Amino acid sequence: MRSFACWRIVNTIAVLSFALLAAVGSRAAAADAPTLAISLRTLSSPYQVMYKTGGEAYAKNVGLALDVLATEANSQKGLADIKAEIARTGGNVAFYVDPNDATDAIAIAKTMDDAGVYWASWWSKPADVKVWDYSHWVAHISFDGFAAGEFMARELIKTFKTPGKGNIIALQGRLGDTPNGERWQGLQKVLAENPGVKLLQWESAKWDRTQAYNITRSMLVAHPNVDGVWAANDDMAMGAIQALKEANLAGKVKVVGCDGIPEIFDAIKGGLAAATVFNDGKYQAQLCLALALAAKQGKLDVSSLPHERRQFEIPAVNVNHDNVEKIVHDYIENTPNYDLKDLFARWSRAMP
Amino acid sequence: MMRGLLDRPSTTRRGGRLLAGLDAAQRAVRRAGIQGQLFSLAVVVALFAAGTGGRYLSWANVRVILSLAAIPTIIAVGMHQVVVLGGMDLSVEGVVALCVVFVGLLTRNNMNRNDIGLWIVPVTLGIGAGAGVISGICNAKLRIPSFIVTLGMSWVLWGLAVFVSQGQTLALLDTRFHPVVTGSIGGIPNLAVLAVLLTAAVQILQDRSQFGGYLYAIGGDEVLARQAGVPVQRVKILVFTTAGLFYGLSALLLSTRLGGAQAITGNNLLFPAVTAVAVGGVALTGGIGGAKNSALGALIVTALNDGLILMHVNPYAQDAVNGAVLVVAVALTIDRKKLGFIK
Repeated sequence: MRSFACWRIVNTIAVLSFALLAAVGSRAAAADAPTLAISLRTLSSPYQVMYKTGGEAYAKNVGLALDVLATEANSQKGLADIKAEIARTGGNVAFYVDPNDATDAIAIAKTMDDAGVYWASWWSKPADVKVWDYSHWVAHISFDGFAAGEFMARELIKTFKTPGKGNIIALQGRLGDTPNGERWQGLQKVLAENPGVKLLQWESAKWDRTQAYNITRSMLVAHPNVDGVWAANDDMAMGAIQALKEANLAGKVKVVGCDGIPEIFDAIKGGLAAATVFNDGKYQAQLCLALALAAKQGKLDVSSLPHERRQFEIPAVNVNHDNVEKIVHDYIENTPNYDLKDLFARWSRAMP
Repeated sequence: MMRGLLDRPSTTRRGGRLLAGLDAAQRAVRRAGIQGQLFSLAVVVALFAAGTGGRYLSWANVRVILSLAAIPTIIAVGMHQVVVLGGMDLSVEGVVALCVVFVGLLTRNNMNRNDIGLWIVPVTLGIGAGAGVISGICNAKLRIPSFIVTLGMSWVLWGLAVFVSQGQTLALLDTRFHPVVTGSIGGIPNLAVLAVLLTAAVQILQDRSQFGGYLYAIGGDEVLARQAGVPVQRVKILVFTTAGLFYGLSALLLSTRLGGAQAITGNNLLFPAVTAVAVGGVALTGGIGGAKNSALGALIVTALNDGLILMHVNPYAQDAVNGAVLVVAVALTIDRKKLGFIK
C-alpha cells in the first residue's frame, strides 16, 4: 500500500515536470522564427518534387527553415505527420498542403484551426466545404482544371488528319481526385462542341505510367483506328506513347497530357505529343507558403478577405509545339523570380 | 473411397453447410491440379471471345496478352517459392523501385554521363538478390515473420529509391535492351518466350532437384522437415534470394519497356503478383503449387484484365472484379487445417 502511494507521488511529480518542460519548451520554440512546412503526396513524383524545389527557394529567400512531409498516399499518415509537425514547432509553423484525398481537407482544417496554424492548400477539397468557414485556412487554390482539360482536347483535335473528325481513347487518373474530375469535364465540353469527334473508350490508369502502358496496349487492340489519346496527366501520356510505339503508331497518333514534366516537353518537340498544361509546382509552393506566412505574421487579415479570395483558381501555362522551347527555358531550366508582392496577382476566377 | 486428411468430418460440424461446400470445392480444385487452372483459363477465354465477337482471340490480342503477362509471370515465379515455404514476400515494389532507379542512373541516361551498358544486368540482379538475402536472413535466422520483413524491406528500398533518384524520372537512352523487350520470335513476343523459359527452368528445378524436394518438405511441414535433416535456413535464404533476383530482372525489363526510370515504376506490382500466385493454385498456407502454377495464374489475371477492357466493362467495377478473384482464389486453395483459427 505504502509503495503504491510512493509510486503515485513520484508519478505525479514526473507528469507535472514533463508538462512544465513542455510548456516552457514550446514557448521557447514559439519565440523562434517560424518554420515553413509542406505536406505533399510523394517525392517520387517529378511534379511534386517541384513543390520542394520551389519551397526551398522561397525558404532561402525569407531565411526560414522548411520541412517537407510526404503522405505516401496515406491520409492517416498525412494527418498524423501534420499534427507531429505542429507539436514539434509548438504551432510556430505555416503550411502548404496538397491534400492526399479531397476529404482530408476537412480533418486538416479542423486540426489547423484548433492549433492556430495558418495554412493554404491546392488541388483537392470537397466542393461543398467552404474555406471561409475555417478561421486559419487562408486559401484553397487550384489550377483551372476545366480550362486544362479543354485546352488538351482542343489541341488533340487539331492534330487529326480530317479537321474536326476523329476517334479518341482516354486515360483518366484516380477517379476520386478533384483535378481528374475537372480535366475530364473540360474534355466532355469539347466533345459536346465537336460532334465529329468520338470518345471510343476510357479507362482509369490511376496516374500511373505502367498501368497507362498496359491499358493502352489493350485499347489499341480494341480500337486499332484511333486518332488520338487524351491522358489526364503526363506520366500516363508517356506510358501511352510507349504503347503507341509498339503498335507503330507513335507520331501518327498524338497524345496529350497535363503537368508539364520534362519528358513531355521532349515528346512535344519530337512530335509524339501534341500539348500539355504546365502546372508550375514551384509557384504553387511559393504562393501558398507566402499566403500562410503573411497571415501568420499579421500582414494578411484572413477574416477580412472576401470569399472569392479564399478559394480561387489561377491559370496554368498552356504548352504546345509553338511555345514549348520558351517554356522549357523559362520554367524548367531556370526558376523564375516570382513576384509575390501581390499575392492575388494571378487570381483568375473564384471557385464556386 | 480413400479418405485423406482433407476428408475429416469435423469441418462440416464446425462451419455448417457453406464451409462444407467450400471444402468440397477445394478438394475438387486440388484433385484437378493444373487442369483446374487450365479449365479456368479456358472459361475466361471463352467468355471474352463470345463477348467481343471473336476479337479477343485475334492474333493481335493474343500477342498483347502474352506480352503483358510476361513481366507479372517473372515476378510471380520469383515470389511463389516464398509462398510455397508458407511465408509471404511483399517486397517486390521496393526492390523494383530501387533496381529501376539504378538502371536509370547507371545506363546511358539524360541526367549524367554513366553508361555501363550490359553490366546493368548483373548489377540489377545483384541488388535484387542482395535484398532477398537480407530478407531471407532476417526471416530464417532472426525468426522475424516474412510478412513483416518483406513489408519493411519494401518500404526501406522504396525510400532509398526516392532518395537516390530525388523523385526525378530518368530517360533511358541505351537501346541495347529494346529488341529483347519489344521484339518477337516467329510472332511470339520475346518477353513471353523469356518468361516461359524461366518458368520451365524453375519448374524443372522444383521437380527434379534436391532443392525442390527440400522446398516442398518445408512447405508441407517445417517441423518434420527440420527433423528429417533438411537445411531449412539455407533453403529459406536461397528462396528469398531467388525471388529478389527475379524482381531485379523484371525491373530492368519494365523500365526498358517504359523508356524511363522512376521510383514509382515499382507501384502496383504487388497485388497482381499475389493474385497470380493465388489464382495459379499456389496455396498461401504452403507446400502446394509450383512455377507453372504461378505462370498460369499470371496469364489468367492478364487475360482477365485485357478481356475486361475489350468488353468495355465499367472501369469502376474492374478493381472490384480483381479483388473478388483474389478472395475466391485464396478461399479455394488455402488449407484451413494448417491455420487452425482463421484470423
